[in-house]
Parts: sequence; structure tokens; C-alpha cells
Amino acid sequence: MVSDSIINSSVPSALNSKDFGKKKRANRSAKLKQCKLDARREQWLSQGAGKTKGCEENKDNVRREFPKHSRKTSNEREPSFLEMRGRVEGIGESIHHHESDMELSPANSPTSILLGSTESGTNFSGSSSSSSSSGGCCSGCITEEEEDGDDGCLDDWEAIADALAADDLNQNQNQKQCTELPPQHGEPITQFDPMRDLSNLKPEHPRMVQRTAANTGAWRPDDVFRPQTLPNLSKLPSFPATDRKFSKRGVPWACNNAVNAPSSCPICCEDLDFTDTKFFPCLCGFRLCLFCHKRIIEDDGRCPGCRKPYEHEPLEVETSVHGGSLTFRLSRSCSMNTRS
Amino acid sequence: MNGTGTGMMITSSSSTWVSTTSVSASGKRIQREMSELNMDPPPDCSAGPKGDNLYHWVSTMMGSPGTPYQGGIFFLDITFPSDYPFKPPKVVFKTRIYHCNVDMAGNLSLEILKDGWSPALTITKVLLAIKSTFTNPDPYNPLVPGIARLFLADRAKHDELATEWTLRFAK
Repeated sequence: MVSDSIINSSVPSALNSKDFGKKKRANRSAKLKQCKLDARREQWLSQGAGKTKGCEENKDNVRREFPKHSRKTSNEREPSFLEMRGRVEGIGESIHHHESDMELSPANSPTSILLGSTESGTNFSGSSSSSSSSGGCCSGCITEEEEDGDDGCLDDWEAIADALAADDLNQNQNQKQCTELPPQHGEPITQFDPMRDLSNLKPEHPRMVQRTAANTGAWRPDDVFRPQTLPNLSKLPSFPATDRKFSKRGVPWACNNAVNAPSSCPICCEDLDFTDTKFFPCLCGFRLCLFCHKRIIEDDGRCPGCRKPYEHEPLEVETSVHGGSLTFRLSRSCSMNTRS
Repeated sequence: MNGTGTGMMITSSSSTWVSTTSVSASGKRIQREMSELNMDPPPDCSAGPKGDNLYHWVSTMMGSPGTPYQGGIFFLDITFPSDYPFKPPKVVFKTRIYHCNVDMAGNLSLEILKDGWSPALTITKVLLAIKSTFTNPDPYNPLVPGIARLFLADRAKHDELATEWTLRFAK
């Protein structure tokens, strides 16, 4: 809601590496925001103290942790975690998810702005990849890369993402993607609430926080290119959240493969489209795309699977007698010509 | 600026569009077969593009054990037509072989490479079929009637000659 608009406005400006002036302004505004957030944090703390009576021990632990670390970034997260912790045990989940959403996403945006200046350089990839292996479980920022935090292949993705972030053309796409992000951004938060652990707060070091926020910056361009190599993640929001909880990566992928088993024509190796998937030309069960079928009908006329003549042959003789079906045939062949 | 450039390209290449798509369609199919062949090659066979031309392959085939062609290495040329999956590939023996279904020029009489061809067949299946002719020659559809006659009349003499040719040409 409010946080969505903040993300939309701040992140594209952060990603645009050429506008240095804008960035400075954004940094100032970020500091202003942080001041406001500090004030809000106090409110959250007082509220959280009232709400989460059962978690007071945990809260004390958290408070002990924080004075050692930075007060700006890490403390911002503290109320949100307390909120989360309280929410899991409490009632009224949906409202609190919105609250935590509002709390978390402004915390992400200032750091991502800070890192926007370094994002144009490629030397940034080293630090981000190392942080992913060590502090990927930091759980400060809740985006999709957390789901992949367990996997070893995260490093590669981040390296690719950083290389892509250096490209201006890709950045334009990033901005498009960022506008699409907020609905996705909200989902994992609700999903990760039960899994949240206060032990995750321990590695919350000022650097760590910045790095994980940097991961969000690095992963957004990655989302743009993910469909080309890993088509599963672009379709993730369409899958139920229970699947992702169970096995965040494997299940959607398996579903994806199971749904369209004969995905390509065995003759031309092109993907079968919607009409092709409903096309059963022969009783033997051999399936192929309409283009190849037309080609075979014109030339050989035998099914590639059983080598028997297609049964359309006698039908075609009949259609020459009946005018209506003849026009149907003609229109179909015309449409194929325009498409081919 | 960029858009107009691509527009020009589309209009200029539209005349040759149909032919290029047909070639690229067979190219995609051949590439798929090549990767499948590399993933799971048939026993004692290998095949791949001769140079950078995807439509011209060379294949090697080891003479099957238990046949007079045992121990020989036979080279074959495979040429894919531009309308490949719909028309069979042309396979020619480059190594001389004493076989009733292979003539002096290396042409091969195999049913699936002629009327028995189906677009669902792949080059892997073709290679397996050729390999099976080593063990089971078809003397009733011969390309060299003399060898077929000898195969039917005096199998021992035929095998002796075939072994001799294998030693002479395929080693």
C-alpha cells in the first residue's frame, strides 16, 4: 500500500546508475525516512511490548543483540520481527501482515538506494555472492532470493544478475520489472511468517543488512531473465503458496513438466501450441503439430507413427461433394498458410 | 530509429522467409537428434557433422562381433535433405564391404531409407538398422545379386570372402 509506492519510486532511481544527482537526493530523503522510521520504531516497540507478552524473553535477547550493531538499519527490523513473532502466535494475521509489510519495505529501500551507486560496478558481485553463502539466512529482507538461500547455485545467479545490472538496456527492463514487483513482494512475507526464527537475528550486522538489501537489488534484474533459463520462477505466483512451502523450487517445476508432457512436435521439434495439443490425427496415438500434419497430408499421407494412411483421405473426397465442409477445409488451410 | 531498422529488415527478408524457415525447421530437428545421439549413442556407433555443415554427417560403425565384419571399422556418409524429417537421409558406405545390400559405390538398400521411411524415425534408429544388416543381410532384396546368391548357396564361402574384405578394406 504505502510501502508499495515507496518501492516504486525509490528502486528505479536507485538502479539508474547514471543519475548521480538523483541518488544524492534520494540518499537525503532516505535519511529523512530513517528518522521517521526511528520514530515509528519506538511506536512499534511499545505496541509490540503490549502485544507479545509471550515472547518477552526473545525480545530481551534481541535487545541485547542490537546495541552492538548499527542502529539505523538493523533496529528498523527489530519491531517488524517482534511483530511477526507476535503474529504467529496471535490472531488477526492479515492485518499484521500489512503492517509488517509497511515496516519492512521502507527498511529495504534506503539501503538499496545506497547500493545503487555501487551497482554499476562489477566488483560488487564478489561481496554479494559471499554474503549470500554466509548471511543468506539473514532474513532481514523478504524477497524471493530467500527461498533459494539454501541452494548452492545462488552464487551463480547473483553473479549473472550483477553482470546484467551493469547493462543499461537491462536496467530499463529492471524498471519495468520493479513496477511488477510489489504484488510478488507481499506474498513471501505472509509465507515466511511461520518460518521466522529469532535466531536469525543474530547475524544481523550492519554490513549484513546492507548486503542482503543489495541482494534484492541484484535479484530484481535476475527476475527479468529468469524465465529464459528457469521458466519456473516467473510462474511461481500462480502456484499455491502451500506448494512453495513444501518444496520451494522443485514442486512448481515438476508440476510444470507434468502438465504438458508432449511439449514439442516429434517431427519438427517445435513447441506444440494450444490447438496442437488438442489435435489427435491418428488412432495410433501419434501426435504432431498441424504444420507437419499438413505437410505429410500433401506429400505422403501416412501417419509417421504407424505408417498407415491418415483417415482424413476418404473424408476429403466427401468434402469435395459437400460444399459446406469444403469451405471449412479451405478456411483451415488458409489460416495455416498465413501462420506459416 | 531501431524500430525502423528492424522494419526494413523484415520487409527485405520477407521474400526468402518461407525457405529459411523450412531449413531452420529441419536444422532444429537435426540438432535435437545430434544432442540425443551424443547423450545416448548406440553401441559401436558414432555419428556427427563432418564440418560446420549440419546437413552433412560422417559416421563410423564397428563390425558386429560374431559376423565376418568383426574387427572392421566402416565409415558412412550421411546427408540430410533440406526437407529432412519428411524425406529420408541418404546414407552411403565410404568403406568397401562385401555385403549383398551394399553395392560397389557404397549405396545401401534399406527399406526404411526408401519407402519405409517415416518422419518419426531418427538417425539413431537408422544407424541401428544398418548395424542389424551386418548380422542379418537381406539376400531377397539384394543390391549385389552375386553376393546374395553366394550367401544363399554357400554361406561359408560368403563369410570367408566377407572376412577377407573386412581385413583388406576396413582395418
